[in-house]
Amino acid sequence: MKKEIGIVAYQCKQCGKLHYPFHDRCLGCRGREFEKIAPVGHAKLLTFTRIYNLPWGFDQRYLILGVAEFENGVKAMGQINADEKTPLQVGMVMEPSWEPVRVQAGENVYGLKLTPLS
Amino acid sequence: MPIDLELEAVLRPTQYPMATYPPKVITLANGKKMVIRQASREDVPAILKSVHPCLFIERDYYDIVSARLYGELLAWYRYRVKSEYCLMGQVDGYLVGVVNGRLEDEKVGMSYHTLAIDRGLRIGSHLFAAKMEYHMEYLNQDAVLIVAESPIGFRRWMIEYPLEKTTIPHELGGGDSYRLTREIYLAAKPRLVVGDRPVSQELMDEACADIKFADDDTIRERIAGLKGR
Amino acid sequence: MRDVAIIGVGMIPFGRRDEDSLMEMLAYASLKALDDAGLGDKTVDAVYVGNMGGGVIQHQTSIASSLVDRLNLLPAAAETVENGPASGGSAVKNGLLAVASGYFDSVLVVGGEKMREVTGWRATDFVATLTHPQAEYPYGITLPGMAGMFTRLYMEKYGVTREHLLAVSLKNQEMGALNPYAHVEMTLDRNGIFDSPHAVVNNPVAADPLHLYDLCPVSDGAAAIVICPLEMAKKLSKLPVLIAGFGQATDTHTLQEREDPTDLKAVTLAAQHALEMAKLKPADIHVAELHDAFTILEIAESEHVGFFKKGEGGKAAAAGKTRLGGQIPINVSGGLKARGHPVGATGVAQIVDLTWQLRHELPKHRQVKNAQNGLSVNFGGFGNNVLSFVLRRVEQ
Repeated sequence: MKKEIGIVAYQCKQCGKLHYPFHDRCLGCRGREFEKIAPVGHAKLLTFTRIYNLPWGFDQRYLILGVAEFENGVKAMGQINADEKTPLQVGMVMEPSWEPVRVQAGENVYGLKLTPLS
Repeated sequence: MPIDLELEAVLRPTQYPMATYPPKVITLANGKKMVIRQASREDVPAILKSVHPCLFIERDYYDIVSARLYGELLAWYRYRVKSEYCLMGQVDGYLVGVVNGRLEDEKVGMSYHTLAIDRGLRIGSHLFAAKMEYHMEYLNQDAVLIVAESPIGFRRWMIEYPLEKTTIPHELGGGDSYRLTREIYLAAKPRLVVGDRPVSQELMDEACADIKFADDDTIRERIAGLKGR
Repeated sequence: MRDVAIIGVGMIPFGRRDEDSLMEMLAYASLKALDDAGLGDKTVDAVYVGNMGGGVIQHQTSIASSLVDRLNLLPAAAETVENGPASGGSAVKNGLLAVASGYFDSVLVVGGEKMREVTGWRATDFVATLTHPQAEYPYGITLPGMAGMFTRLYMEKYGVTREHLLAVSLKNQEMGALNPYAHVEMTLDRNGIFDSPHAVVNNPVAADPLHLYDLCPVSDGAAAIVICPLEMAKKLSKLPVLIAGFGQATDTHTLQEREDPTDLKAVTLAAQHALEMAKLKPADIHVAELHDAFTILEIAESEHVGFFKKGEGGKAAAAGKTRLGGQIPINVSGGLKARGHPVGATGVAQIVDLTWQLRHELPKHRQVKNAQNGLSVNFGGFGNNVLSFVLRRVEQ
């Protein structure tokens, strides 16, 4: 069963500014009351990179990471499901999913994955 | 030393026919040209002189790699190993790196060692790739078994190619071998194997004149001093 | 607030220093600076140590306390300052404020890091700990990865090309090869790392569009300065260098929360404050040490501090305007790119190099002629905590 995207964004009740990740005080008005918002729909790729020389904890040759914006304005970093030859460009629409992004202490760590739609 | 040819016939292993590695030249990051060519048996004493100071450098496992390489080259020189080869990297005639390996059988190769004397220029990467090129494209093998002593070598090759894990033991008693298959080689080739052929006569003449090697102190400084990346 | 001057500087060659522990490196650099200040057998009032990774890599904390004991600077006040790759800059700032406030008269500031004690991928992971713990770190992001994403956006917005990045790389390696304190003393050849088809192995992609030679090395090293009130400096030193201004600013932790991720607001603000305090404009600066952990950052910072308009920094580098002898020499030391980047040391090393420049102490092939004013940028996080200093030569 497809897992729900585990990202919780926060919309300031005072000025409406959307945040992810969490801030105790709004980046706009320093308000402290937020409404929890789930990311909605597909995500548009804002930037990306193919990283070789990965940190400890990753055994693959490379990882493709990107930052994408969901249809309701939530922005988040995720791993891109593609190989290094897949043509990618800023603005591409991605299908988000919530999948294991690494293993730590023997356990899967879940996070955002983005798959090019076309 | 007297040589008894009857005993030698027993002690010398049979050799597979091996095509010659055609030399190539690579432009390094500092603009210098490295000629990679196959060493002959007669080159071994000179190569050993370059390897010798590395026997006493602990840094980055140079001591164990050099010790094993020394033994392997000596075994080849003394006709005590089957189908071994050695490729050398030379810049301005100076030996900057050595790789060796042998044929386990006609279709499977065994990669021995890689020793970079000049560091920071990816000489080890270029020479290791040349070795794989030799096995796959000139010796027409299907697979090469590979082991590593140094974590640098391990990381570079096992992950960069990437190589397949096997349960075949290391012939010197180390960790299990990894395998490069023809399929992996061909996929990795565009990003890991480079070089221009033929090598100009001028560069070949320089490389084939005496193999120059730096003095012990310079070699130690280049390896242990680690100037450059 | 009192004027504060630098009366002693010292550093050790950066590189891979297997034989030296972190404490040894900090001690060696400190002693050099103390000797340079004429305080070789004296103590100071306070010590600030810039270090990011001691607790993680060396499993050692309270480094400043250990150092004052080791050097017998007792009973000086002492603190370790951690601000990621801007730990050195923050240590300088803290020392500066301590003297400027009137509370302390003599302060030693030393920055150091020993990153090569662990393998490359553990060092990469250590540096990545500065990223956001939930929103970035788990994904395997690295600092080169952050820089790669930033570079892509910067290239798209301002037309920066790989040729522009190459110009920075070649320049800094060339200058690093002349610097006896530099980690990397190897000049690069354009053909070998860019034009030749062999560049695919020599200069592989690191975090595209950045390649290996767009990145600084992982280094060990330490650098130190001794500071005191200007009036005291004039009596103690023939060549005091005034810290004429400083600035520090922060920005959002994650790249995605910046309104314009190509806008390094913290760099702009920090440099602006430093220049305003020094009553100078960018055009008054004769030599700069910018934080070029990645070649794109030298270009971006050169624009954000005001040396060039946005979008012009890359072209300026390619045209030689940032070389020694050019319009504004940047990273004559070789920068982080070639001098190296032991993260806690860098911010202090930049001040050391600028001090040598402003004292006119360097050999001709590394000296900016008649340099009077210098500027540094020490870039913490990925641009979310930045310090800038303006130094001025004091004519006696």
